[in-house]
Amino acid sequence: MIKIKDLEKIYRTEEVETVALNKLSFNVKEGEFVAVMGPSGCGKSTLLNILGLLDDPDSGSFIFNGIEVAHFNERKRADLRKRNIGFVFQSFNLIDELTVFENVELPLIYLGVKSDERKKRVEEVLDKVQIMHRKNHYPQQLSGGQQQRVAVARAVVNNPKLILADEPTGNLDSSNGNEVMQMLTELNEQGTTIVMVTHSEHDARYSHRIIRMLDGQTVTENILV
Amino acid sequence: MFKNYLKTTFRNLWKNKGYTFLNIFGLAIGIACAALIFLWVEDEINYNDYFSNKENLYKIKDSQTYDGTTFTFDATPGPLAGNIKSEIPGIKNTARTTWGNQSLFSLDDKNIYEQGMYVDSSFLSMFGLKFVQGSAATAFQQLYSIVISKKMAEKFFGSTNVVGKSLRSDNKQNYVVSGVIEDLPENVSFKFDWLAPFKIFLVQNDWLQQWGNNGVVTYVEVVPNANIASINKKLYNYLDTKGSGFNAKFSIYPMSRWRMYDTWKNGKEVAGRITFVNLFSLIAWIILIIACINFMNLSTARSEQRAREVGVRKVLGAGKGKLVVQFIGESLIMALISAVVAIGIVYLALPTFNSLVEKHLLVHVTNPVHVGGLLVIALICGLIAGSYPAFYLSSFNPVTVLKGLKVKSSVSAGFIRKGLVIAQFSISIILIISTILIYQQIHHVKNRDLGYNKESLIYLQVQGNIKPHFNAIKNDLLQTGVVKNASLSRSTVLQLGSNTGDFQWQGKDPTKQILITVESVSPEYIPTMGMHIKQGRDFYADVKSDSNNVIINETLAKIIGGKNIPGSVLSQGDTKYTVVGVISDFIYNDMYSSSSPLILFADTAGTNYMTIRLNAKDNIPASLARVEKVIKSDNPGFPFEAKFVDDQFDQFFKAETLIGKLASVFSVLAIFISCLGLFGLAAYTAERRTKEIGIRKVLGASAKGLAGLLSKDFLYLVAISCILAFPLAWWMMYNWLQKYAYRIDISWTIFFIAGLLALLIALITVSFQAIKVALSNPVKSLRSE
Repeated sequence: MIKIKDLEKIYRTEEVETVALNKLSFNVKEGEFVAVMGPSGCGKSTLLNILGLLDDPDSGSFIFNGIEVAHFNERKRADLRKRNIGFVFQSFNLIDELTVFENVELPLIYLGVKSDERKKRVEEVLDKVQIMHRKNHYPQQLSGGQQQRVAVARAVVNNPKLILADEPTGNLDSSNGNEVMQMLTELNEQGTTIVMVTHSEHDARYSHRIIRMLDGQTVTENILV
Repeated sequence: MFKNYLKTTFRNLWKNKGYTFLNIFGLAIGIACAALIFLWVEDEINYNDYFSNKENLYKIKDSQTYDGTTFTFDATPGPLAGNIKSEIPGIKNTARTTWGNQSLFSLDDKNIYEQGMYVDSSFLSMFGLKFVQGSAATAFQQLYSIVISKKMAEKFFGSTNVVGKSLRSDNKQNYVVSGVIEDLPENVSFKFDWLAPFKIFLVQNDWLQQWGNNGVVTYVEVVPNANIASINKKLYNYLDTKGSGFNAKFSIYPMSRWRMYDTWKNGKEVAGRITFVNLFSLIAWIILIIACINFMNLSTARSEQRAREVGVRKVLGAGKGKLVVQFIGESLIMALISAVVAIGIVYLALPTFNSLVEKHLLVHVTNPVHVGGLLVIALICGLIAGSYPAFYLSSFNPVTVLKGLKVKSSVSAGFIRKGLVIAQFSISIILIISTILIYQQIHHVKNRDLGYNKESLIYLQVQGNIKPHFNAIKNDLLQTGVVKNASLSRSTVLQLGSNTGDFQWQGKDPTKQILITVESVSPEYIPTMGMHIKQGRDFYADVKSDSNNVIINETLAKIIGGKNIPGSVLSQGDTKYTVVGVISDFIYNDMYSSSSPLILFADTAGTNYMTIRLNAKDNIPASLARVEKVIKSDNPGFPFEAKFVDDQFDQFFKAETLIGKLASVFSVLAIFISCLGLFGLAAYTAERRTKEIGIRKVLGASAKGLAGLLSKDFLYLVAISCILAFPLAWWMMYNWLQKYAYRIDISWTIFFIAGLLALLIALITVSFQAIKVALSNPVKSLRSE
């Protein structure tokens, strides 16, 4: 599903040049659950942003589902993103002004799904993450664990092929964290490809494969299953 | 999607109530101001639209050149109308009118002065006057017939069904009502409640039959699609075909330009009232833009709060275009809400505004022009206000904002924000300076030495016994002890209506015509007015003994030249007049310029006004009552209606006073709206710098020092505004003042005061926030980060 080759990303300011990704190459197969680990500043987040089509690389190749997307323009990226990729963030990133239901509904709105269909799908997914009873609440009325469940629901509501998770348990206590990891595992078992950036060895163990990064390059790959 | 936008918009507005209030209130005031101004503009632009035949109606302008300078008048010879109608193709109809007469009408015990005109019967049909009773065709079949307005009919008879009834005019002549017409609206060039056949006036004023005398107004109706250039070509030298030695050149002037232009300088039409209309339309837009700037500044300043939302929406697949639409949509909603609030403000402010502009403007929520206009204003505001924030907010990089990194206001955003504040304050400062200078100029002219004392002077129309028994009435008035003097004159002292270029004297080039104002007065004129004799003597008390003598003013004396003016002879045709005295110049007709040459004749035959000087020391209302008593007993049958020269004087400044009043109102509002924006910006800056302030306080900064620190940035912007505004304001006002011959010098202190005022207002606005933050508990502010 994902083939990246010689990916480079360099951040430049007036005085400093920081190499975030240094000729990085690896593949992710469809249905895989990959964890990316490494110390702060190793380029994990940059990688995730490029995989999520939020950012573009300076050079190298990124083939997503057989299509070269490395130099897609913003409109094409946005289109590809909303059809194929779901995001889960450490800080949940729910919109405060929208209710739980409306937050989860948003990706479907941008996809142009009809209202009746939206209602059905949002309720289904809210049911699945067991937050249906709070669908009319606002994010700030929920606990961190509940917020992250909503975020997961939002990430999966349009049935993406790929879920990118950036430290999904970073802001949660261990029991809430385990719950979220359990949810991701279930999604993976249902066929969704997952790439997760994490600092937690415990969380990484939920994945099939751990890619360890340092200074913008992969250093080791551990296959767990 | 739309529903989702609406939800986010309203929840965002509700969540940030203070910000929403500042934005909506500021924009609503801006829209209300603009709406009021546009109502005024609409009324001005639609002037004379009452006359359905407007595009084919003209009046004749008469241009006369004296000594290289061309003067343009409405006065035309009496025979002109009839002759051009038959001789010039393209002219369908013509009508003559008098200048407007106030006559006393009586019915039983009702005696009321009414304004009206003597007109040719063609006037009734040309202007399409709407008859409630009678008809244009039959109205003037009898000589002493009269057409009256509905208002006048109801005043006298209590109904409009009055054709055939009779009214007595000036206690002399009965008129039969032959028609009743609808009242004229306010925004037309004519003000009359009665019309009577022109023939009556013609019989009383035989001189109007001559080509050389210009005494009536001539209106022309042309055939549709007439060739105006060809008509004007024939009119230009038309008078030369009727005799020789005439100076007047005629042309027709369209009704559509009467209100807005009809101001002439050396034979050329110059911008008249249209200048005000343009100026105020411009001010309306400027105020709207100031209000829009608030919106832009507050939206971008608080962009950090919306940044995460932008990031999330982008990650979820919203393109930049969709976000731009969302944010512009938000500002459109805000503008629409503001427009609704503005309607309320307009309704509340309209009575005050009407008394300010002396109109009876109405706003109709069912009038498609008004509703459409308001929607267009709201739409434009929404687009202007929303455009920059929409592009700014939608350009955020989701990666940056979602990482929780603070959106560093880009250098350009900060620059634009500051630029916009500077723009607001520059405009406000220019308005303040302009307002002060306009008032200074009005004050300057109002207090200039007119050459006589206009205080305690009253005048009334000469009627009934006043002229034949003037000396007796004058003596009765003097005996009351409250009157110092009284005199008769053709015109009121401020507005002298007659002039001629016919006078010759020794040493004058006989081919050169000099336009001289002529005025007929009784011998008491000069002492009554309080004018000064510079050379020679005043008229003798017996008016007949000076029938061939004149008194001239200094300006004319200078033109005649030589040292011994008294004794020189002026001739008009075969008649010779000896100059017996020279008076100091006095100002008339144009309060902003100097005096023009003038001749006073001792002649009471042609006088229309009596002027009375009251003792200034006495109580004016009491004196007026004594005068009224005398006049009423000596001139029975006529109501006493005296006017103050002072009040007439104030009428000269109507236009300037209106600009002054509006400029002051709008500059206060501009400053107010700018301050709303500044207040909001200061609040956000304070919020953003909470942590910095906390740290500074912990490290020992004083509240005063912190308040200064926070205020400094804004005051600096106001200071830059001053630097930009001063030269611009100077340039604008310098040019405005050039049109007045008698004008103030622009003093630098005005700029100093305006700058100081702006700084002070900005300081008060900003320091409220600054002090609030500076006094807050540092522990709290540090914890809140």
